[in-house]
Amino acid sequence: MKIKNQLFGEIEFSEEKIIKFPEGIIGFEEFKKFLLVNSGNPLFLWLVSIDEPELIFPLFGIKALFDDYPTFEDFEPFGIVKLDPDPIKMTINVKAPILINQDRNEGFQKILDDDRYPIDYKLFIEK
Amino acid sequence: MLVLTRKPQEEIKIGKDIVVKVISISENSVKIGIEAPKEMVIMRAELYQKVKENNVEATKNVSLNLPENLKDLKVNKLNKRKNERKEKD
Repeated sequence: MKIKNQLFGEIEFSEEKIIKFPEGIIGFEEFKKFLLVNSGNPLFLWLVSIDEPELIFPLFGIKALFDDYPTFEDFEPFGIVKLDPDPIKMTINVKAPILINQDRNEGFQKILDDDRYPIDYKLFIEK
Repeated sequence: MLVLTRKPQEEIKIGKDIVVKVISISENSVKIGIEAPKEMVIMRAELYQKVKENNVEATKNVSLNLPENLKDLKVNKLNKRKNERKEKD
């Protein structure tokens, strides 16, 4: 199977790579099938909609940021990143993680009821 | 919109699985308890709106290019000890 977008050109994938989001992603509920692309650059993963390939969410693994982040059984938490040409302005949403189970190919977005995790956590700081 | 008057501790039933209970009221807020199947998403409406706006923003200007000055920065890792210290401040 193939999809095409401006960022990656043509992406070829097999059916078992499709990650189903039965509830969609908040604000994009109509899109239920995504691919997790880990090429392009070494820092981010990209959640690409199969039905609308120009719809792409940059993701970053949240476990690398917080030692005590909640666990969600077999689901791995990723944060949606707001990219910016100035990296100090990049933020990651750790309030509403994208949870993905790569064995079962399932995902959903969950909103945490915990004020320690903001929607706009600064991804980078100065060394 | 259906409008019902309820007193503290009184409940409203929605369908067969959902119960909404008025826990307590004060001058300008109401504490509400909700019992619902766990697959139902329940959240403060303004939070949903904020997450939605953030999601929409994140899909704009997506680029694979990494900024040049990234080498002067590090990932903002918050370890537990730091977190606790922050809470004390």
